[in-house]
Amino acid sequence: MTKVEDYDMPEELYYHQEHMWAKVEGDKVKVGLSDFSQKLAGEISYIEMPEEGGQVNQDKVVGRYETGKWLGKIYAPVSGEVISINEDAEDDPTLINKDPYGEGWIFEMKMSDSAELANLMKGEKAVEWLKGEIAKHAKEKK
Amino acid sequence: MYLFNLDQLPGQQSMLFFHLLARMGIEALVLVSPKIPLASIGYFQNAEEEADLQFCKKANIPVMRREVGGGSTYLDENQIFHQVIIRRDHPLFSRKISENYERFSLPVVETYREFGIETSFRPVNDILTKEGKKITGEGSGDIGDCFVWVGGILLDFDYQVMSRVLKVPEEKFRDKIYKSMQENLTTMKKELGEIPPREEIKSVLIEKFEKLFGKLEPANLTPPMIKEMEKLEKEFTSPAFLFKKTPRIPKGVKIREGVEIIYGIHKAKGGLIRAIQEVKKERIKEISLSGDFTLYPKDCLEELEGKLKGEIRKKSWLNSKIDEFYDQEKVQSPGINSEDFLKAMKVEE
Repeated sequence: MTKVEDYDMPEELYYHQEHMWAKVEGDKVKVGLSDFSQKLAGEISYIEMPEEGGQVNQDKVVGRYETGKWLGKIYAPVSGEVISINEDAEDDPTLINKDPYGEGWIFEMKMSDSAELANLMKGEKAVEWLKGEIAKHAKEKK
Repeated sequence: MYLFNLDQLPGQQSMLFFHLLARMGIEALVLVSPKIPLASIGYFQNAEEEADLQFCKKANIPVMRREVGGGSTYLDENQIFHQVIIRRDHPLFSRKISENYERFSLPVVETYREFGIETSFRPVNDILTKEGKKITGEGSGDIGDCFVWVGGILLDFDYQVMSRVLKVPEEKFRDKIYKSMQENLTTMKKELGEIPPREEIKSVLIEKFEKLFGKLEPANLTPPMIKEMEKLEKEFTSPAFLFKKTPRIPKGVKIREGVEIIYGIHKAKGGLIRAIQEVKKERIKEISLSGDFTLYPKDCLEELEGKLKGEIRKKSWLNSKIDEFYDQEKVQSPGINSEDFLKAMKVEE
């Protein structure tokens, strides 16, 4: 597990610029919220999952979540069909805070075009990007 | 960044406008009040479960669901909304949501101070007077490519109508909400004895927000914007949006940070238990228990209420208090045990 400052960032995952992670296994993609995002957003009170069986497009909003009276968005990292959602996280969204890359996964999809993975970040590129995000958002602003 | 220093807008436009600007990607500070009263529910609330729709219809109070978090609110002309819309690449936006609240609350805190009311920001989303009373509540959300942060200066407040707008399981619960709001929610009128001129408040707000954002460019509502808002109104008031099922189960009403009225009902083997509690800083300030269960000796329910008053809402602690009550009063309750009371009280940990 790579750690960038205080934030976990498993190196085998792809990352979307809206701080979603994508775990690719063949044409299946498991999706969740990054550790950085969940830590900065705070405790998640409610989550609206994408619809199972629904078609989603890369970069589009597929769900919402609420933390501290803020309504955030869940994005699709790639296009495809939503094949399952994490009902445990729907019942207890704090699972996303407790274990963002494990028990707190959000949904799973069947990817329709693996070429879209090129639009996501991985490895060193993702680490550099996260460092920039930390500097922009996690440091005190005057 | 624009400044929309608006007067009162009809219908739901005072709330729809920030949604529209955010969807259009227009950065602005909006100061506005509603011309008519309305009820607004949070994104994760279902209108049917949270608002007394029959009352709202009779009183001509439209109900709208917003794309912002939080709970039900009653809005009317006695509030000046301050709505900040910035793109998420704006240098003052932070993904650390709590930081945005703190930063954008500062001009509001300074405005109250300018009028002689000492206030401070209290996480997560309240501005409180030094006596700890809430004077502004806030909410936020990502809409389009923007982040919006909204709140309102409370000039005056109709506690009665607010408590009527909410859907409550029983009237006793409404009374509790009303009383708790009276105690914990204040207004400029309550604090100062009168309402300062609206335009003066707005001009101080602008001055304070300009310290944060720099000079704002005055702008006005345009006819195409009004047309777009009318379209938006249809979307926001459609039954599909308003009554959308959400995972949020109503369990009570938050009056301010740290104070809430919780209602619970539990069907135990020995009958139904209802519990209404006012909770302050995780302690039971008031509790009322009722139902169709049987306790021996009769009339000892008040003793139990007294035993629980002032106690911290921790399962193991309350369990011991209820056990104590059973022992001291030699209570028998067929089909009911302490776990059942805790379930009705929604004490989980």
